[in-house]
Amino acid sequence: MRNSSKTTFIAFGALGGLLLAALILPIASLLLQANWITWTAAWKEEGARDALYVSLTTSIVATAIMTVMGVPLSYVLARAGLPAKRFWIGLVFLPLVLPSLAGGILLMQLFGPYGWIGAPLASHGFEVTNSYAGIILAQIFVASPFIIIASYSAFERVDPQLEMAAAILGDSRWQILRRVSLPLAWPGIAAGATLAWIRTLGEFGATLLVAYNPHTLPVYLWVKFESDGLHGALPLALLLLLLAVIAVIVSALLSRISGQTGTAMVE
Amino acid sequence: MKINNGVFGPLLVWLLFSALFAGALDSHAASGSSKQTVSVLYAGPLATVMEYGVGPAFTQATGIAYQGEAQGSVACAQLIRGHLRTPDVFISADALVNNTYLMGPANGDLVKWYMLIASSQIVLAYNPDSPHAKEFEEVAAGKMPWYKLIEKPGVRFGRGDPTIDPKGYRTLFVFPLAANYYHRPELNTILGEPQNPAQVFPEIVLMARVEAGQFDASFFYRHEAAARNLPYITLPAEINLGDPNFAAEYARQSYTNAQGVTVHGAPILFTVTIPGDAQHPETAVAFAKFLLTSKDLLHQYGFGDVPHQLGGDSSQVPPQRRSLVDGAFKP
Repeated sequence: MRNSSKTTFIAFGALGGLLLAALILPIASLLLQANWITWTAAWKEEGARDALYVSLTTSIVATAIMTVMGVPLSYVLARAGLPAKRFWIGLVFLPLVLPSLAGGILLMQLFGPYGWIGAPLASHGFEVTNSYAGIILAQIFVASPFIIIASYSAFERVDPQLEMAAAILGDSRWQILRRVSLPLAWPGIAAGATLAWIRTLGEFGATLLVAYNPHTLPVYLWVKFESDGLHGALPLALLLLLLAVIAVIVSALLSRISGQTGTAMVE
Repeated sequence: MKINNGVFGPLLVWLLFSALFAGALDSHAASGSSKQTVSVLYAGPLATVMEYGVGPAFTQATGIAYQGEAQGSVACAQLIRGHLRTPDVFISADALVNNTYLMGPANGDLVKWYMLIASSQIVLAYNPDSPHAKEFEEVAAGKMPWYKLIEKPGVRFGRGDPTIDPKGYRTLFVFPLAANYYHRPELNTILGEPQNPAQVFPEIVLMARVEAGQFDASFFYRHEAAARNLPYITLPAEINLGDPNFAAEYARQSYTNAQGVTVHGAPILFTVTIPGDAQHPETAVAFAKFLLTSKDLLHQYGFGDVPHQLGGDSSQVPPQRRSLVDGAFKP
């Protein structure tokens, strides 16, 4: 019995180790060839600083919008007893399956200056194309599924008995959500929000079509790769990698803190 | 506790099989004994002519498989220079891209010669469903000068990005040339900043935006507009960068990018070369020869004729191809 479980772990470890190596080796090679002095100098160039600013501001705004709208949507999906619930959840998954370039083409058609939605906006002087709004739109399109699905499963995991108890004690739906469901689901929501945030930081394909300017960090990386080749692109790849590391750390901290407060509030 | 083998057994067998199969595929490609291939890295605006015209025609004529990849001309050169791609043939949309990024000791002497294959010119192509299509038709019929329409508020037009596409800076050159030609100095400032976000997109996005009707018009090479069946307005030879007779006038225009690289105006000429690290030099020679003798095919796709002049070191041209050279090219 023991032996067989050991064999299983060795076999699984070998399979998993290969996959892990495929993930880590490219990043390790980036770190190994990093020339920190010239690369950090490249981060200080105006173009890189502008792109970093654009990426940070748009991704934070996009994540805030996705949270404010995505959490209510996931609560409705989890608790409202919608007919054809599977269908609605399937819809939410669609942007994940679509290549982001295809998503960008669709957004461009809809929100471009002659699109169904873009034309009335443009006639009021509001351009989505090549604007912060366009970048945020592309980011929301590709990243929303992460937060919606994560919050949905977090709400699903909340024990209905607890909600029922609160209802029996006379709490309204809103009070139950605020006092019971949200605190319990919060760690899942926070994890989904960070995943979504990381996805927005790396978003390229849809952004390229909707808003080439102002350059986000991934678009700027592509422009530098096109114009300067490897030595132009690698410093920015490292910068994006560091951002991702920060996002993962923030995510870990956030889910730990919110996890504790979440349990504390219920207790 | 009992471990269920029902799922994992077949999974392992499948993994083993797929690994073996992948290995077999790899060795098949590496041996290449059954079929020769030629890999061609080419400037993005050539995508239609390469993938639908030259590529299939070459395979039909020679039996050699064709593998094409489109990128911006400068990006192609950077890929070759960085040894990220080792194409057998490189086709540039600007002769000077060879000189600047691939020739000389500073660039590892990766390219020693190139030959002119075709010319093109800048045109103003428009979407026939645009709300301004009627006006564009009037311009095309000669009832209104093209710049009147470009100046008109509400007309949305695009152009390439001068930092990554030769077409981007070539479009910048059209306007000062036009200002001179029409005696209308205001044409110098009509485009705004080189990176004006109201107009600038990368080449692939630009075409998609016009076809999707999100731009009324855009500046393209004539062969691009022809390939996509977009109606277009031709510009006078004095300003369209398509006529070598006006090379001296074109050369007075210049653009300096953020990296400090300055490019001068020049007739739009496409070039072919075989980089020094080509993996299949023999199929490369066959492909280049095919390209240089496919005048009719290139015509059909909207390109203009040029003498097949040679840039760089003529002694480096493969001997089988010297008969195709029509004199020297001085950029």
